[in-house]
Amino acid sequence: MWQAFVDLIHQLIPWFDGGLADVVIILIKGVALILPLIIMMAYMTYAERKVIGYMQLRIGPNRVGPFGLLQPFADVLKMMFKEIIFPSKANIYLFILAPILAFVPAIAIWAVIPMGDGFYITNLDVSLLYVLAIGSVGVYGIILAGWASNSKYPLLGALRSASMLVSYEIVIGFVVVTVVMVSSSVNLNTIVADQSGGIWNWYWIPLFPMMIVFWISALAETNRAPFDVVEGESEIVGGTHVEYSGMCFALFFMAEYINMIMMAVLAVLMFFGGWHSPFEGVPYLESWFAFVPDIVWLLAKMSFFLFLYLWIRATFPRYRYDQIMRLCWKVFLPLTIIWIFAVALMTQLEIGPWF
Amino acid sequence: MFKKAKKLVKDFGLSEIRAGMKITAKQLVTDKITVQFPEERTPISPRFRGLHALRRYPNGEERCIACKLCEAVCPANAITIESEVSDDGTRRTTQYDIDLFKCIFCGFCEEACPVDAIVETHIFDYAFESREGSIIDKEGLLAIGDENEKAINKARLEDSKYR
Amino acid sequence: MEFTSVLFYVFGLSFVASAALMVSARNTMKAAMLLILSFFSAASIWLLLEAEFLAVTLILVYVGAVMVLFLFVIKMLDVDQSTLRAKFTKYLPLGIVVAVIVIAQMALVLSAGQFGLDAVAEPARHAADYSNITELANLLYTAYVYPFELAAVLLLIAIIAAITLVHRKGSRSKKQNIAEQVSVQAKDRMRLVSIPSGKRKESK
Repeated sequence: MWQAFVDLIHQLIPWFDGGLADVVIILIKGVALILPLIIMMAYMTYAERKVIGYMQLRIGPNRVGPFGLLQPFADVLKMMFKEIIFPSKANIYLFILAPILAFVPAIAIWAVIPMGDGFYITNLDVSLLYVLAIGSVGVYGIILAGWASNSKYPLLGALRSASMLVSYEIVIGFVVVTVVMVSSSVNLNTIVADQSGGIWNWYWIPLFPMMIVFWISALAETNRAPFDVVEGESEIVGGTHVEYSGMCFALFFMAEYINMIMMAVLAVLMFFGGWHSPFEGVPYLESWFAFVPDIVWLLAKMSFFLFLYLWIRATFPRYRYDQIMRLCWKVFLPLTIIWIFAVALMTQLEIGPWF
Repeated sequence: MFKKAKKLVKDFGLSEIRAGMKITAKQLVTDKITVQFPEERTPISPRFRGLHALRRYPNGEERCIACKLCEAVCPANAITIESEVSDDGTRRTTQYDIDLFKCIFCGFCEEACPVDAIVETHIFDYAFESREGSIIDKEGLLAIGDENEKAINKARLEDSKYR
Repeated sequence: MEFTSVLFYVFGLSFVASAALMVSARNTMKAAMLLILSFFSAASIWLLLEAEFLAVTLILVYVGAVMVLFLFVIKMLDVDQSTLRAKFTKYLPLGIVVAVIVIAQMALVLSAGQFGLDAVAEPARHAADYSNITELANLLYTAYVYPFELAAVLLLIAIIAAITLVHRKGSRSKKQNIAEQVSVQAKDRMRLVSIPSGKRKESK
């Protein structure tokens, strides 16, 4: 059916030797991916308020719609009709550019993330590197927001969070190296395909410490509690967000949540077998769960990691800034380097089903 | 040495992180204690001091005799009273205003009143939409009293044995 | 015209325009942003040439790391624009000489007929399953393994040198031992003493 649709578009748009038709198809694919993503992001905010509320013995939003289910839409409406205030001494161009630079990379990453078998926008050969590269661009949103606001707290927040992001990017890079060593590919599709065949074939077993390091670094990369030094409400009011209001603020907010979903998906793709069912190769369970589409497995695993985000946020107090840096440079970096050698050894000895 | 190794295992085993997360996970499934305010209300003491009201006798006659004791005792000067001799020869108020912005809800007016005319009801969720709305005049106070006479009576009865 | 040519001209235009604007921008922050845009345009052009590993690495290294540090420096330093501009005329002759030499060199190289499609063949298009990064790795770890390792060692030396330059052992530093702070237990700092109650010593 998809092929018929592609052919139809090719017939409708015959110019440019079919090149433009391909662009149109990619645009349609993009919209089909971004719309559910934005809805997912909206309900992530709802889930966050609900889960954290429950963990703090509260109820959370429950007034808009049944169980407060329409709360995200109320928030969106509020954000859209709020005035965007520009500080008089701010650099207006960079001030507007900052939220865009935070939001666009968050969306652009999804171009290469496969959500199921053959279910992606592009199958880029270096997709894992692409994720790292575009993910590192998001830091400009924070740096620019801190600088362009021309205000003290945003600058402080931007300074400490930018250095934190750059440091943890290195750790994530090293973790990715171990994954690449195990699967000998930087293509996310191949990495997931290598993990087929049940829960013990997934990479979380040989890379267990790396998985934990990756997850903690992912918390830092997405500026989530307990690493949310960029906002630090109790210390620097709201960090880079202080001067932003209305849709400008909403873009930062959306970028944060879309990055959270991206990190959760990335963890699933790299360590938890992507869209593969955990029961592959198990005698009876495999056939019982054969009807479940692969994207459902992916979403289920992803939801667990998203829940973990909220769980961790509800549990831990904010890290002190210098301890964050210590954790990165003195604990995670040596640990990842040690594990790179361990993985090299395991690859040579061909241990288990992973290598 | 052994102690150090034990600590290393404890640290890299994330033991304290796991302990913390166990606690929040437990809280997630326990019963919530939130009171859903407009539908549910927490119990209020009979002595609660909320919005003011002026009361009447059962025959409809105003209790207030314009003695101005409440005006005198009010520490915030929130009460303004003007009085005149009425047609039947009794002394009655022509004006009885309470400024809710000034009022500190101390309940002294209630204590000072010799005829239990001015009382403080249990109403606390009131609002006004303009600045002048903060001043309640005599008609308003009497209306509040008429509306809540039953509740006022009940609260006074419950509290009477401690007075 | 193929659609990829349209894309090439779009990226090329944004590359040249952002580079020109970067040089002429007065605001340092704006100039840095324009430099990032030109990096992106260059990466896009490389992507059109099927050099996706190179393109992604350009973004990862230069945009993701180097420029961030640049912005840090810009933010931290209090650059006084007026003193910089005051010396503009003083260094103008030297600048003109350098610029003329650079332009002349580039003109000589570019006009020598080394770069046209007649001199260099168009890179061959590969099938979809062709892995750029595998080819690159094969070359780097076989034919060019010594230069590759040497470059890595050189970078390592640079890192160590940078660290030794800043690392000072001295009595003046008041740095905290965070490992010690983190590992402190309640019993290290607090002593619970049970004091017998009831009996009171007579005070003199």
